[in-house]
Amino acid sequence: MNFTTLVAVGFLFGIGFGYFVQRAGLCFAHGLGEIFIGKGKRICRMFAVIFIITAAGFLISGYISPELGLKTIGQLRGFGFYNLLSGIFFGAGIFLNGGCILGTLRQIGEGNMTFIVVFVSMIPGMALVVYGLNPLLEKNYNIHNVLLPDLLGVAAPFITGTLIMGALIWLLILMRRKS
Amino acid sequence: MRTRRSFTKPLVLVSGFAFLNVAMYLLIHRFWIGGSSFLPMIGIGGPENKFIFAFIVNMGVIAGAALGALTSGEFRFRLPSVADLPKAILGGILIGIGVTLAPGTCTTSFVTGMPMLSVSSFLSGAGIFIGGYIVFRIIWRKP
Repeated sequence: MNFTTLVAVGFLFGIGFGYFVQRAGLCFAHGLGEIFIGKGKRICRMFAVIFIITAAGFLISGYISPELGLKTIGQLRGFGFYNLLSGIFFGAGIFLNGGCILGTLRQIGEGNMTFIVVFVSMIPGMALVVYGLNPLLEKNYNIHNVLLPDLLGVAAPFITGTLIMGALIWLLILMRRKS
Repeated sequence: MRTRRSFTKPLVLVSGFAFLNVAMYLLIHRFWIGGSSFLPMIGIGGPENKFIFAFIVNMGVIAGAALGALTSGEFRFRLPSVADLPKAILGGILIGIGVTLAPGTCTTSFVTGMPMLSVSSFLSGAGIFIGGYIVFRIIWRKP
């Protein structure tokens, strides 16, 4: 598949993602807020459903094609302290403006131009790290990113299966109606 | 009528989102990512133009969200208010720093990274909770 076709197919998938996200009202920034005020059932149910489907799908994909299967996310700086630090910056940012990445894209699509400002404001932040800090960090930090099965020394199907079972039980508990 | 309503329930809709994520991986061997996809805005296309591909997918997300909003009557053109601008700008800059310091947007972590069992995503997820909680305590609820 050439790059133009790949991009065209990707764009169509993007439309699908955007449609489902908008109709479901999915935004992890709002979800975090709901959790912090003690009303996180909605976002927890959504996360559990997404986790069950994608975890099972990604695991099964490895049996369909050897090119697929589980892969580490993000090759930049492996894993460790920087993930935690980046998460703190990111978490603070999404909470300040009221939209995660999906939420930001969704709100732009819904006509909220405040999120165009958020979108454009990401440029100086990214440039600061990529052109300012990266050369320093690359010299001092070099850890390969790993998957949980490699870290724990346990087979992936066992870990995924256990997590899916846990997510299913969690989902059932969350969906139980109060009598 | 009941069938139509059930297909518009949030859990059914997020299931559709999750199935699409898996389908894209199976079909074109790429998965949805959030933060790194914006690196083309500062001139970085990534290996094999991966970030450019992800950027285009996310432009599709905007188009899809617009489609959803227009078909449901939820589309409303709103210009930013002056009062919201400082938070939007500061929030955007912090997001920009966060997504490039290490890969870990909430959606990449929660939707793709954790199901992939990528250790970095679990750490990013923990960081997002901490960062979000700090701002929550400062802005909404003082300790």
